[in-house]
Amino acid sequence: MMSVRLATCAVVLMLLTSCGPNPIDPRRQIGPEPYLPPIHEYLLPPMHTAKIVNWNGATPTVAPGLKVQAFATGLASPRSLYVLPNGDVLVVETGGPPPPPPSRPKDLVMNWVEKTTHSPTKPGQRILLFRDTNGDGLPDEKTVFLDHLNSPFGVVLVGSDLYVANTDAVIHYPYTTGQTRITAAGAKLCDLPGGPIDHHWTKSLTASPDGTKLYAGVGSNSNITENGLQAEVGRASVWEIDRASGSHREYATGLRNPNGLQFEPQTQRLWVVVNERDELGPDLVPDYLTSVKDGGFYGWPYSYYGQHPDPRVKPERPDLVRQAIVPDYALSSHVAPLGMVFYTGTNLPAHYRGGAFVGEHGSWDRTILNGYKVVYVPFQNGHPAGAAEDVVTGFVIDGDKARGRPVGLAMDTQGGLLIADDTGNSVWRVSASSP
Amino acid sequence: MPSPNPRSKMSIAGHPLHVMLVPIPIVCFVAALITDIAYSQTAKMLWTDMSAWLLMAGVVVSLLAGLAGLTDFVSDRRIRDLRAARIHALGNIAVIILSIFNALIHTRDAYTSVVPTGLTLSAIVVLILLVTGWNGWSMVYRHRVGVMHSETDVP
Repeated sequence: MMSVRLATCAVVLMLLTSCGPNPIDPRRQIGPEPYLPPIHEYLLPPMHTAKIVNWNGATPTVAPGLKVQAFATGLASPRSLYVLPNGDVLVVETGGPPPPPPSRPKDLVMNWVEKTTHSPTKPGQRILLFRDTNGDGLPDEKTVFLDHLNSPFGVVLVGSDLYVANTDAVIHYPYTTGQTRITAAGAKLCDLPGGPIDHHWTKSLTASPDGTKLYAGVGSNSNITENGLQAEVGRASVWEIDRASGSHREYATGLRNPNGLQFEPQTQRLWVVVNERDELGPDLVPDYLTSVKDGGFYGWPYSYYGQHPDPRVKPERPDLVRQAIVPDYALSSHVAPLGMVFYTGTNLPAHYRGGAFVGEHGSWDRTILNGYKVVYVPFQNGHPAGAAEDVVTGFVIDGDKARGRPVGLAMDTQGGLLIADDTGNSVWRVSASSP
Repeated sequence: MPSPNPRSKMSIAGHPLHVMLVPIPIVCFVAALITDIAYSQTAKMLWTDMSAWLLMAGVVVSLLAGLAGLTDFVSDRRIRDLRAARIHALGNIAVIILSIFNALIHTRDAYTSVVPTGLTLSAIVVLILLVTGWNGWSMVYRHRVGVMHSETDVP
């Protein structure tokens, strides 16, 4: 009698833990008005991560009219890119700070998941410089540009002032054109929220078109406030940093993990890609691409996609939820956009002019993987116009093995699109297939 | 001579393993109810984090205690025949299953890791523990399960 009862209970347990909604077609969540299904909170979130495998000489797949070449290989977790005016390409090798001691049993599991989804190569903490000396678009020289950094991510040059966003501070270095190595000690311009808890650690960086301000993306310190609201001070926001004084203010808030900060070239407005929250179901909440309004509040943590309240956040703030701005363009759920670049070059086919390329690192909590590619969002008059198109794919093979994961993007001076691939330890260059 | 009292098979030198282990999950599950109440009143993550550790420790040790108890239960017909023993066993199986659920609920982030489902499960578990505890004490103090009759008892 006992064993029958036990078996029944075990079966019930299994049924209850395995049930969850089936993922929808991600195309229903791409564009200005994504379909938002009801919230589904899990007993066990479906942790479906892609197994990391090697490229073994293979390359990603590109859309018709394009070709892809390995720009650099054998790197140590390249995650972001910056092109200097003389054509030199900076590749930021970086990894996050060590996780804080676990505050609950789940942290032990999450730290393990984090390990399995990243390359076994120990990430660098430095910036490499690649130079193309013969004009073929591929580098012929490589130097260590800056070493011994602290989880760097964003880089921006204003005149002869180079800024690097470490995870805990923006550091200023003097730079002269043609320099291949910076030996000068950096000077801190501004502290950024770092450890001891430093959940979303990548600090994207860009400069205003007039060069007076810097903008830094500062991600939240949790999925949804589970490290306490006190850990979120100054986070989930875009900081505006005065370049002359180093003082800062929160330019926009409620952006859970904003990356790929870029000024749209036509309207000169700031745009970001944002990683939205997890564990509300396979299709909540869509990650997005949005323009950023000065003083705007974009929902996190209190609400998502405008005024949809998140039941996990206490105390509630209906006053803030009422003000929450609906983002401009959904990219579908859990794609993890970490890089963006507006294409202003002329190398790629005319089809790709003026819009934004987005690097999608890929999902971990969705039974059918989403993301793991670079997409193109067409723009007209400074606004997204049309469906996102897959441009660079083939990062995932056999449905669940990742040869690479795209992160930061950049456009080189010849108009090639560069893609940092952190688990593939490579940088890819996409250009027109026929000259 | 064989003991006239129902015997505990899983025992060390006449000390039944089950009763030595059960204080740990009982304290963990009762404390998890208290920390869940504290979280529901304050929304301070400290309390739900504490509940999560308590539930994990409680589930792990309750599985060991349950294994020892179940072995005693099936090994001696005199135990199986006790109504108190059957109530105690079934109730505590429910406690373990509900607490595994509860531990999973507590892996959610922030408020819904406790309110309403986690807190409800914690309260139900403590209520069941009152019943199964009472019956467990009946087994020992009234029916002398696992109690040595004399120093010459075969353990």
